[in-house]
Amino acid sequence: MALSPFASRSPSLTVASPNSALRLKASAVPRSTGQAVATKAQSNPERELTEQLNDDVRRKYTKGKKLGEGTYAIVYLGHFREDPSSCVAIKKIKVNAEYKDGLTMDAIREVKYLQELSHRNVIALHDVFSSKDQNLNLVLEFLPGGDLEMLIKDGDIHYGVGDVKAWMGMLARGVWFCHENFVLHRDIKPNNLLIAADGEVKLADFGLARSFADPYLNMTHQVITRWYRPPELLFGAKQYSGAVDVWSMGMVFAELLLRVPLLAGMSDLDQISKICEAFGTPTEENWPGVTQLANYVTDKAVPLQGRDFFLRQFPTAGPVGADLLMSMCVLDPRKRATALQVLQHKWWTAEPRPTKNEDLPRKSGTKKMGDDLARRGGDNDDGPFKNAARQLDFGGMK
Amino acid sequence: MIEDDIYRTSSQFRLWSYTESSLNTLRTTTNNIASERVRAALRRARERHLSATPSATGTPQPGSDAEEKDIECLTPEEELVLVRYYCEKTVELGDTYRPPLPTNVRATAIQYLRRFYLTNSPMTYHPKSIMACALFVATKTDNYYMSLRSFAEGIPGDTTPDDVIAPEFLLMQGLRFTFDVRHPFRGLEGGVMELSAIAQGQGKPAPHLPQHTPETLKEGILNLAPPAVPASSITDRIGRAHGATRELLKSAAQMTDAYFLYTPSQIWLAAFLIADRPLAEFYLDTKLGGPIDPSAMETDTSNTQNTLSELRTKLLQVLADCAALLQSYTPLSSDPDQMKSLKRIAKKLYHCQNPEKVNLKRDTAAPRLTPAGDGGTVTSESETERLAKKRKLEMESKQRGGHDVFGPELVPDRTRH
Repeated sequence: MALSPFASRSPSLTVASPNSALRLKASAVPRSTGQAVATKAQSNPERELTEQLNDDVRRKYTKGKKLGEGTYAIVYLGHFREDPSSCVAIKKIKVNAEYKDGLTMDAIREVKYLQELSHRNVIALHDVFSSKDQNLNLVLEFLPGGDLEMLIKDGDIHYGVGDVKAWMGMLARGVWFCHENFVLHRDIKPNNLLIAADGEVKLADFGLARSFADPYLNMTHQVITRWYRPPELLFGAKQYSGAVDVWSMGMVFAELLLRVPLLAGMSDLDQISKICEAFGTPTEENWPGVTQLANYVTDKAVPLQGRDFFLRQFPTAGPVGADLLMSMCVLDPRKRATALQVLQHKWWTAEPRPTKNEDLPRKSGTKKMGDDLARRGGDNDDGPFKNAARQLDFGGMK
Repeated sequence: MIEDDIYRTSSQFRLWSYTESSLNTLRTTTNNIASERVRAALRRARERHLSATPSATGTPQPGSDAEEKDIECLTPEEELVLVRYYCEKTVELGDTYRPPLPTNVRATAIQYLRRFYLTNSPMTYHPKSIMACALFVATKTDNYYMSLRSFAEGIPGDTTPDDVIAPEFLLMQGLRFTFDVRHPFRGLEGGVMELSAIAQGQGKPAPHLPQHTPETLKEGILNLAPPAVPASSITDRIGRAHGATRELLKSAAQMTDAYFLYTPSQIWLAAFLIADRPLAEFYLDTKLGGPIDPSAMETDTSNTQNTLSELRTKLLQVLADCAALLQSYTPLSSDPDQMKSLKRIAKKLYHCQNPEKVNLKRDTAAPRLTPAGDGGTVTSESETERLAKKRKLEMESKQRGGHDVFGPELVPDRTRH
C-alpha cells in the first residue's frame, strides 16, 4: 500500500520514504488549511471558514470569453489573476434540473479522479471552486491544440508513423499512470485525447472513470463508446480490468494508422460481428469462459486472425508496430497486453523514432476544446459519432 | 516512481494530513469563528425580536436577561465529542439498509463528516443534518449507487429526500471538492494474502533480503511466539488476526484522528500489531529484516541493513503511537460516563446553535447571493419566527414518532424565543 516502505524494487530508493513522508507532511501542512486559515480568520470573521477558503481559490482566477457550451457544462477561457498571460479552461458544470439526486455521477467521477491524478499525459485539474447559485467550477489545464479526432479527420493534415508513435506513446503513458493509480478511464477515444500548445497529448473526460473494484465485486458493462468497446464489455462482463482501456487504445492506434475508425458498428450486435470478422470469433478455445458471459452471442465462426492479418492490414506500422497492435487487440482480456507491457514494447525504440513534440502536425482547436470539455461523459453530440454509452446502467451493478 | 510518491499526490495527503498540533490549531480557529458568529446571530435575532414586540417592553422577557450576558458556546473538545457521536450513528444508519451499506461506504461517509467539521462547527451546522447527506454522497463516490428516494426511504423516521440532499453542496464545499478517501482495508487484505502464502510455503522473499527463502519464511511463521488467544493452526491464527484488525479499522480507526495523522498502511499495521503482535512483527521483518544482532553490528552489516534497521526503528515508533491512539477509543454508546457528558454537550448545543443556519433546505431553494462580507441578515424577522415554529412542530412530531435511528432527543425540546 501507499507509504509502505516495502513495495519497490530498490530498497535504497525506498528506505528513506516513510520518514521523508512524515517530514514532508509536517512542512506541507502550514501551506495548506491549517495556517492559511488561522490568518484568514482574523481578516474576515463574517464569512464561514469554508467560504473563505473557497473565496481564496475563486479569486485566483479571472473568467474570460466562452469557449464552448454543451448540455452538461459551459467552458470559459480563464487566467491566473496574478499572471494574465497564463491560460486555463474553466468548466462550469450546470445544475441539472432533471437530476434530483444532487451532483451528477459524471461530475462526481470527473472531480474525484482528476483531484488524484497528476501526470503529464492526463489533463490537469488546477482547482475547484463554487460560484454563486451553487455552481461547480473546474479549473482545468488549457489545451488549445484540439484533439486527435480533428487531426485524423482533417485531410489537409499529413502525418506519418513517427507522429503516430509520438501520440500513442503519450496516450500509453497516460493510461499506464491511471492504471497504476487503480483508475479505469472507460471512455478512451480520439476526441477525448486533447492536445496541449506544446503538442503533448492529454487524456481528458473522466466522467465514466472509476477505481478498480475489489475482487468479485461487479461493475457496469455499459461503458466506453461503442467503436472502442472491447468484446468482454459487449458480452456483458461485470468484472473486468485495465484491459478494457488497452483495447480502446488499440482501436485508437488502428484509427490513427487508417484514418477511419477500424470497427464502426451500427449497434452493439453489429459491433460484435465486426470484431469477429476482423479478429476472429471468440470461443472457449481461444478465450476460456467466454461462453459463460451474459450476452455472449456469435453468428459466424471466423477463425482467429494471425500475425499476417495485422501485417497486411497495417503495413505503415511496420512488423514491430503490427505486433504491438495485435497484442492490444487480443480477444481474451487475460491475454491482452497490459498498459505496462504496451510501454515495454520494442516498437517505441524501433525506427522511426517518435516525432518530437515541436515537430508534430497541429491545428488550432480552442473551440474544439471548449466543445470537448462541455460534453457529458461518454456522450458525443456530432452526428456520425452518436454511438456513445449515454447512460450508465446502475441496475447492472446490483 | 514508488508508491510513496503516488500517495503524496493524493488529496488525502495534500489536504487532509496534519500534525497533532496543526490539527488542534485548525479546530480551535474553526471554533472561534463559529462562536463569534453564533453570538452575533443570536444578538441580531434578539434585537429583531425586541423591536418587533414593543408592547413587551413593560413585561420583562423571561430568560432574556440571562441570555443577554453571554451565550456559552461549545469548546473544540465538545464539538469533537459530538461529531464522534454522529460518526458512530453513521455506522448504525448504514446497518438499517437491506443489504447493509458496505463498510467502505460507511467509512468514507465518516471521514467526510470528520473532514467537514475541521472547518465547520456543529454550532453552525448540526451534525444530524449533515450525516445522512455524507452517507448518501459516499454511496455516489464509492460506486454503491442507489437513488436518493430509496436512500431516504431507508432512513427510519420521516426524513425526506430533500432533507438528505439539502446540505450536499455545503458538504462538498467543506470537503474542498475532494472525494477520494484512502482506506486501510485493502492494505490489510494484501498483507493477509501474503501471510497466507508464506504459511503455505509460497511466500515471495523481498529482493533486498537474500537470506529469506520460501522455506525459511514458512519455518519462521510456524515458530512464532503464540498469540494472546490460542489458535488451532496458523491458518486459524491469521484468520483471527485478520478479523480483529478489520474490527479495529472499522471502529477505532474511523472514530479517532488516525486518518488525519497517519497513512493507510501505518493504520492497518498499527491495528495488526494490536491484534497479534508477534505475527505483525514477523510480517514487518519479511520486509525490513529483523533487528540487527548487536554482536554482528561492528563487523559485517551492510549499508542496506543499517538503513533498513534505522527505518524499522522509526516505523515501529510511528506504529506504536498510532496503536496507542487506536486503543484510546471506547464507543460512546457503551460508556455511561461519556454518554452523560454527551447529553450535557447536546443540551449546551441547543442553546448555541446558530439560528440563521437552521433551515438548510431554504438555503438550497434560494441560494444566497451574498458577496463576501455580508453579515448574513438572511432571515427576516417574520421568517425567523416562522422557522422557529416550524422547527418546534417538526421536533414534536419527531418525538411522537417513536423509533428514530438517531435515538431519542438528547435533551427535551425547549422552544427558542
